[in-house]
Amino acid sequence: MTATTGELTTAEQVREAIMDARRDVTPVEIRSGGSVLDRLPTGDHPVLSVAGMTGVVAHAAEDLTVTVRAGTPLTELSQVLADAGQECPIEPTGGAGSTVGGRIATALAGPRQLGAGRVRDWLLRIRFVTGAGQIATAGGVTVKDVTGYDLCRLMTGSWGTLGVITEVTLKLRPLARHRAWYATDRPRHDLDALLYRPSASITTRERTHVLLEGHPDDAAEQAALAALVPADPPTLPVTARASVDPARLVGLVEECETLGLVWAAQDGVGVCHLDGDGDRLDAARTAAEKRGGALLVLDPHLQRPAFGSRGSSPIDERVRRTLDPDAVLAPWRWTR
Amino acid sequence: MTTTEGARRRPWARRAAAKAGPLPWLEAGSGLTDRERALLTAVHGLVGDDGLRAGELGRATYRRDASFLNADPLGVALPWTVEQTAAVVRACRDHGVPFTPRAAGTGLAGGATPTGEGGVRPLVVSVARMDRLRELDVTNRRAWVEPGLVNARLGRAAAVHGLRFAPDPASQIAATLGGNVSTNAGGIHVLTYGVMSQHVLAVELMDADGVVHLLDGTAPELAGIDLRGVSVGGEGTLGIVTGACLRLLPAPPSVGTMLAGFPSLRQAAAMVGDLVTSDRLPDAVELMDARAVGLVEGYANAGYPIDAAAVLLIEFEGLPHAVAAGIDTAEALAQANGATSVTRAQDAAERARIWKGRKAVAGAIAKRAPDFFLQDVVVPRSRLGEMLDAVVAIGERERLEILNVVHAGDGNLHPFVLFDRREQGVLDRVFAAGHDIVTTALDLDGTVTGEHGVGIEKRDFLSQVFSEDDLAVQRAVREAIEPSGLANPDKVLPSTVGCLEARMVPEGAWV
Repeated sequence: MTATTGELTTAEQVREAIMDARRDVTPVEIRSGGSVLDRLPTGDHPVLSVAGMTGVVAHAAEDLTVTVRAGTPLTELSQVLADAGQECPIEPTGGAGSTVGGRIATALAGPRQLGAGRVRDWLLRIRFVTGAGQIATAGGVTVKDVTGYDLCRLMTGSWGTLGVITEVTLKLRPLARHRAWYATDRPRHDLDALLYRPSASITTRERTHVLLEGHPDDAAEQAALAALVPADPPTLPVTARASVDPARLVGLVEECETLGLVWAAQDGVGVCHLDGDGDRLDAARTAAEKRGGALLVLDPHLQRPAFGSRGSSPIDERVRRTLDPDAVLAPWRWTR
Repeated sequence: MTTTEGARRRPWARRAAAKAGPLPWLEAGSGLTDRERALLTAVHGLVGDDGLRAGELGRATYRRDASFLNADPLGVALPWTVEQTAAVVRACRDHGVPFTPRAAGTGLAGGATPTGEGGVRPLVVSVARMDRLRELDVTNRRAWVEPGLVNARLGRAAAVHGLRFAPDPASQIAATLGGNVSTNAGGIHVLTYGVMSQHVLAVELMDADGVVHLLDGTAPELAGIDLRGVSVGGEGTLGIVTGACLRLLPAPPSVGTMLAGFPSLRQAAAMVGDLVTSDRLPDAVELMDARAVGLVEGYANAGYPIDAAAVLLIEFEGLPHAVAAGIDTAEALAQANGATSVTRAQDAAERARIWKGRKAVAGAIAKRAPDFFLQDVVVPRSRLGEMLDAVVAIGERERLEILNVVHAGDGNLHPFVLFDRREQGVLDRVFAAGHDIVTTALDLDGTVTGEHGVGIEKRDFLSQVFSEDDLAVQRAVREAIEPSGLANPDKVLPSTVGCLEARMVPEGAWV
């Protein structure tokens, strides 16, 4: 890939880069911190990077909101919030250099998605530049807002294909007083009736790992009730991740086990992290797609497409064509 | 474990649907255009006598939702099934007549008011009869519902299995889940549980060709662009919600509820700020001013301190130590902010009594004034005190009694403007007050609707919230999803074609 856009620091510059791409009929690849997208096979395309758009614009602690520019590393944001005893539980997904914009654009589940909800649920306002070059804002800085169509959700998980995210306002919450990982040999479904809304539950071949957050006495009682023992957090495989309806996760995991893949499953969420060679991952992709899901290959050294063969609906296509009429924003995203 | 609630069969209705009786409203002198007559005849053939209201009386009850905004529909189709709905929608398309989706009609912004551009009367398509709980999946904590299912009925069905459906708008005993999806409804427990969108896993959206699209499946990521998210809050303009998969949560093992009285609105507002920045976020923080308290206390006897200028209801849910610590913190903060009374609910009965007061507001108002105009604005929580003062000033200026009921934890105000429509000229003052409340919220970095929706009422304020480019993008997305323009035209976005049909006047005595 070749870098062409230089250091973009404003939405206006992003707009100019997009207008250049439209004029030259040269689609661009979108980058932020590179923690996910840099690991995808890209081909030789110019890169539009928002990595230079960093910094917290406004942290309104009393309103439980923060406005932050898209290229800001999540670690930097977390530090600012932690200093005020707050957090936004959208988390890095394994790679170093995760940025706020990248997390919103990819919407991959973090380890605590079970308790904290989806990435999309933490987004209040978004500023972005469409593929047509319009600078737009959707949503607002209040925690409730149904003014106009919910383009915050539309942009979350759009992988840079509809517009380039330049700034977001996120919802915050107080940091939990206590936070600890536990483990047990009991299967996860035994735990459902015992544990009240754990923050994370991750099953590996050996055991089930549980993250409890909140009041320390509650955590102690919950751990005793379910016979959990303190443990280190699980190490998640990083080669690929599959996503299926959570009700079909157990079936997928069984198939991955049979295939000889190393796996860690986010119970109740529907994500399965995988390590293994290309042929096994091909089979895992088939297994995920058979269940109505998908598989993302994160290791660029595997000669495999990052995404599977995704069918897209006519409405998807119309929305894409409307926001990116000349198909300049990574039009290859879902096919490579 | 999976259970399915038995479908309520209505064989009499199906028989009625098959019968074709005389159609007085189709006869000469009814004022119908050829196109309107052709559509009504086609729809009658699809849903029968029982499924079509096109006479004057039948249309009258569908002129509006729970707002004042009203308009005369061409007719009202009441299909029993998704297939019938699809056929009705296709008939609208074939005849080039717009349609206005609707369920219980509890909306407050005119989203279900049947207006059309250029004097075209739309057909109301009610989904209220499609009211089954299709599947309650206890193991995976979710439910597939039809759009006409009433919110509280899902709650009761879930409670049997130790589960709950979190969104709890005040209208939940009547409001349907299809309507809740379409307006992205809120409620009392939004502070930690979030608005409707967070509880909608998938939506079945019927387009203007009658084709149902599943948006977007139930996988957690890599599922394509989130059209589900756009359809939630689409207010019927993107199509008809014909089904949804909703997230259920385990019922909390412990609940703590507290009632605190304050000598001023400002002190109560300061308390809200302190609560929100404490180390445990409450699950509900509701504020009522002295007028609201006085009214409900005489009506519901909920035990509220009637000498307080403002009352806060604070609730914590979850595991017992966290709840107890939260309530302790809240009590300490209340004392620090000058609370004149603090009551903790000792048991479920006392908790129910405290909430009864909050939920009785709309009913209690009937004892005070024949009409009320309910507003819905949001400000950042730190501006709550300023906003409450402004509402008081607006009430004084317009010589109107305004009650403040506030989802304080969210900064979401619901001022009730009381009036009597028989009073000469009062409506101008009511609407002036409503307008000023909205513009004040905007001045305080707030927004024009938090949970009731834009509908028609707030539509023209959008130009003050968003830039032309912002609105152009919204319009483009709407047209991409619903290219026909037949689905609930004239709602949500400011019109680009000028003057519109609906007027904001109460029906009845208004002449």
